[in-house]
Amino acid sequence: MVDRPLDEAELVERARRGDLEAWETLVRTYQGIAFRTAYVLAGNASDAEEAAQDGFVKAQRALGRFRRGSPLRPWLLRIVANEARNRRRSAGRRERLALRAAAGSRPGGAVPSPEAALVAREDQERLLAAVELLPDGHRDAIACRYFLDLSEEETAAALGVRRGTVKSRLARALARLREDLEEDT
Amino acid sequence: MSSLEQRLQALGRELAFPPEPDLAANARVTTRSFPWRWVALAAAIIALAAAFAVPSARTSILRFFHIEGATVERVETLPPAQERSNAGGLGRRVSVREAERLLGFRLLLPPLAAEPPAYVLDGELASVILRVDGRPVLLSEYAARDFGLLKKSVGEKTLVEPVRVAGWPGLWVEGPPHTLTYFSESGEFRQRTVKIHGNVLLWTHGPVTVRLEGRISKAQALRIAREIG
Repeated sequence: MVDRPLDEAELVERARRGDLEAWETLVRTYQGIAFRTAYVLAGNASDAEEAAQDGFVKAQRALGRFRRGSPLRPWLLRIVANEARNRRRSAGRRERLALRAAAGSRPGGAVPSPEAALVAREDQERLLAAVELLPDGHRDAIACRYFLDLSEEETAAALGVRRGTVKSRLARALARLREDLEEDT
Repeated sequence: MSSLEQRLQALGRELAFPPEPDLAANARVTTRSFPWRWVALAAAIIALAAAFAVPSARTSILRFFHIEGATVERVETLPPAQERSNAGGLGRRVSVREAERLLGFRLLLPPLAAEPPAYVLDGELASVILRVDGRPVLLSEYAARDFGLLKKSVGEKTLVEPVRVAGWPGLWVEGPPHTLTYFSESGEFRQRTVKIHGNVLLWTHGPVTVRLEGRISKAQALRIAREIG
């Protein structure tokens, strides 16, 4: 007999009853996106790790208040992001996001010429610099929605704002970026 | 999606994120730091005990017990702490009627020969000191909605026993010192962990969470609780 994997709702129910293995499975599922979210908001790795760790601890303790049937991910992100924002407020400055070291060819991808790769990288660095110059609220919205690929609902949860606020911030941020980059699309 | 949005998405895939920590491995061993942000409420809770500041704690959680608005968790080791004085931490001294006005609900009190003074902190927590066989016992009440979570941590030697108080669910906590922590509804740090030396009866009565704390037996605590209602 082969055990079927537990779905999220079952794992949450078990975790609510104190099943630590179920909770660990949920943490493992979401720790990556939780940590990256904390990182873009807190601005450094140590604060991000602490925020994610504390966020999961608080989420575990608050599982009794989690609304059954709701998606767990936005709820977790809201708690972790709240921790991260608190740390950024207390820490002041944050580190700027950076590009990975230039890599070689990607598996399955065409190999660009050295000149084309250089142009593409300069283009990315220019775009990233423009994002980092945005006001915090706009920059965070762009980072969550596009860099982390969060949904609008998740972005709103992470930023602690309404979905409509996310939409307006994104619209204004994109307009500002287009201006800065002199893009006419 | 516009070309700019596509470029931003592509840029996200090229960002250098730090290595992802293995938080799941730490799920049983939790690390928390406790900034000194909200000291007054905790001080009120522990008027009969000592207050402890917890700079950090590593706690292996063994088991949970829940009632409405509160959790008791059994841990291998209680958080390390520094003892400090808590004199005068009960909050503002007011009449029972004024406390009820501030908190928005009627305080649950046993029959008393004379009305005791009440102490209210931040309009959220009311405390009254009772005398049981000559010993002080702290009765504290708050609306469960005002606190996202009340958490008690107990060691392995501490007895935690589900009880019923006039039909309402409760927990009897007896034994070596245990700790108490409040969290806010949003999960933000609005908390402090304190160490409790007496025994505690914790129960809900409708929307109100009630706590009796002191050097009292379970029978004494349940007798008072039944008188309260």
